[in-house]
Amino acid sequence: MTVLDQTRAPGTTRGPGARRRRSPLGSKWTPYLFLAPAALFILVFQAVPLLQEIYLSFTRTSLLNPTRSEWVGLGNFNRIFGDPDFRHTLLITFVYVVACVVGAVGTGLVVALLLNRGFRGRGVARALVTIPWAAPGIAVALIATWMLNAQYGIVNRLLDAVGLGVPGGAILDSPRYALPAVLATTIWQLFPFTSVVLLSALQAVPQDLNEAATMDGAGRWASFRAVTWQVIKPTVGLLALLMTIWSLRRFELIWLMTKGGPVGATETLVIDLYSQAFDSKELGSAAAIGMVGVIISLIVITGSRLVARAVEKENVR
Amino acid sequence: MSKQPARFRVVGAACALGLVAALLTGCGSDGGSGDGVAKLTFAASTFGDPGRGPQLTAWLEEFNKSQDKVQVSAAAVPYPTFGQTVLTQMGSGKGPDLVRFDMPEFEAAADAGLIAPLDKLVDAGKYDLLKQPDQFMVHDGVRHGIIFEASNYAMFYNADLIPKPPATYEEFTATAKSLTKGDVFGLAFRQTEAEEAGVWQDIFNYVYGFGGAWSDGKNLTINSPENLKGLQAYKDLYDANVIPRGADAATFRRMFAEGKVGMELNNGGYVTATRGQNPQLNFNVAPIPFPVRKQGAILAPIVINEASPAKDEAATFIKWALEPQNQVKLQEILGASSVATTTQRSAASLEKTPFLTVFDELTETSLPQIVLGFEAKTPDIRKVVVQNVIAALQGKADLKSALDRAQQQATELVG
Repeated sequence: MTVLDQTRAPGTTRGPGARRRRSPLGSKWTPYLFLAPAALFILVFQAVPLLQEIYLSFTRTSLLNPTRSEWVGLGNFNRIFGDPDFRHTLLITFVYVVACVVGAVGTGLVVALLLNRGFRGRGVARALVTIPWAAPGIAVALIATWMLNAQYGIVNRLLDAVGLGVPGGAILDSPRYALPAVLATTIWQLFPFTSVVLLSALQAVPQDLNEAATMDGAGRWASFRAVTWQVIKPTVGLLALLMTIWSLRRFELIWLMTKGGPVGATETLVIDLYSQAFDSKELGSAAAIGMVGVIISLIVITGSRLVARAVEKENVR
Repeated sequence: MSKQPARFRVVGAACALGLVAALLTGCGSDGGSGDGVAKLTFAASTFGDPGRGPQLTAWLEEFNKSQDKVQVSAAAVPYPTFGQTVLTQMGSGKGPDLVRFDMPEFEAAADAGLIAPLDKLVDAGKYDLLKQPDQFMVHDGVRHGIIFEASNYAMFYNADLIPKPPATYEEFTATAKSLTKGDVFGLAFRQTEAEEAGVWQDIFNYVYGFGGAWSDGKNLTINSPENLKGLQAYKDLYDANVIPRGADAATFRRMFAEGKVGMELNNGGYVTATRGQNPQLNFNVAPIPFPVRKQGAILAPIVINEASPAKDEAATFIKWALEPQNQVKLQEILGASSVATTTQRSAASLEKTPFLTVFDELTETSLPQIVLGFEAKTPDIRKVVVQNVIAALQGKADLKSALDRAQQQATELVG
């Protein structure tokens, strides 16, 4: 018996001879109709551009004349992989993504553990922590740029006061300090999200288990590792995956702070893609870089799924 | 067979058609004329300049008042992203009807066929065009633009801080060093990758001022000894900490207007902008005191977008702008810049700004900031050169190696 049959009001059951009026929702096409808008959206805004990008990556196409393309096969890929600057870009992307994941999840976990403890003003603290996440990325980038400004910025003034000032003061123009500065800003913006998610995961940790562990003589660290960590581990894994994908795609913050400079010190894949497309006007090379990004994303997603499955199997055993 | 599925098919088809129609409407051209009036857009970064922007918009309004079939509205696109934004729009067959380009983007757009030839739209022979800047408006006998603004580079200095302007490079560096104290800097120039086009304009003066050139007309000469000498001078000043490092042009120009920067090499267009920021500032202008009297010039042509559906109407605006009384008004707005035709500076403007003649006298020795012989490739060469020069500034390579690398990369680029 179907759910619809169960909920039908008594006395409304039609006899065998009664003419049945077919509900428009009963057509075999109904599911397709409901799926159509989403499918059309994905087709128009994702599948078609992706296919176009794949095609473009095998052509030499100028932004100034995008309709005139020349088929070059793997030429764009050979060129970008033969370019030491692109290999440097891949390295910077790797460093940026790993640092973002570790920094945002790590800081978020510490903050979540602190906010999970009982103290006066905890509600206010929880609300304050979410501010960086709620702020628009452009505002965050502009505020950070001003704070790091060599002439007027507060950061360099403070560093100068404790004898750690950057020579010349231009943190964002120093190949040595630009990436750490961009990373610090990124993590500052991201950690509220990870801390809020982890806080909700921490609240699902059964307190009696923690108490039992304490009674068995487990210290704080042992109790965290044996009880808390086991409960929040899937959430941490999910956050790490999300942070990885978001960090691979992050554009506006890096672009607004450094435009990938100085000397490529903060040039990640997406920044390189944008520069190729709109500065060098080479759509073909830009599409090839985009394809590399897509492949990296697929590897990350597939890898994380495999790891999650392996962990799940291990837990079942 | 039930009628219901058929009705569904009709509804479904109608929805699909509606969606397609909506998409097509969204993607369609924004048209041009309503009520028989052609509405055009004129994109220029100068519309956003402090001081000049509002006056240029008022000048545009004078045109609109004089016309009943054509109306032009200003589109201010910020300078750092101007070329990128407008070229992207034009490449996709859209964009403003009229554009005020800088030379590198003008050359790239002309080469790509994005600019409408003007020969049949504007009879240039009717006007007394300034020959030196106008020669760069014609490619292979085809006119692509008319000079909107021509502005030579000179040395702006704060006359309160520097009573007598330096006359040699040695005096120039000594003055910059002696003035730098606390939050006051002796000099300012662009030195960040984020301002690629601006850095190119600034290093151009050092290269040409020390006898160098980016090419000999046939081959690139990026790593020539003269260029190395000029760019070494630029780097020495950077290393000497006499400039506000990391400050962008908007910041250090405000600092100059506030009396916190002693000197900057800038073009005549910034006289009005500087006064706009601080009318009380006591500043003066002198030729750049480098060994060779050669400097950059901003040549900014006005062009018609090849994709514009209203080229004749756009030409009406250019013809109006070229009328003598409108040229005089434009020149008054642009300050120390020249316009397309020969105009006389008024006694009042010379009294208010005596150093206007300094800019005028530099016209013969000023060069547009393009790579001669490789005009259309200038934006690409610029990117390579600026990246490598900044690598040297940041200590990632010595200057000679950086220029050798730039020479190699740019040569590969131009084939």
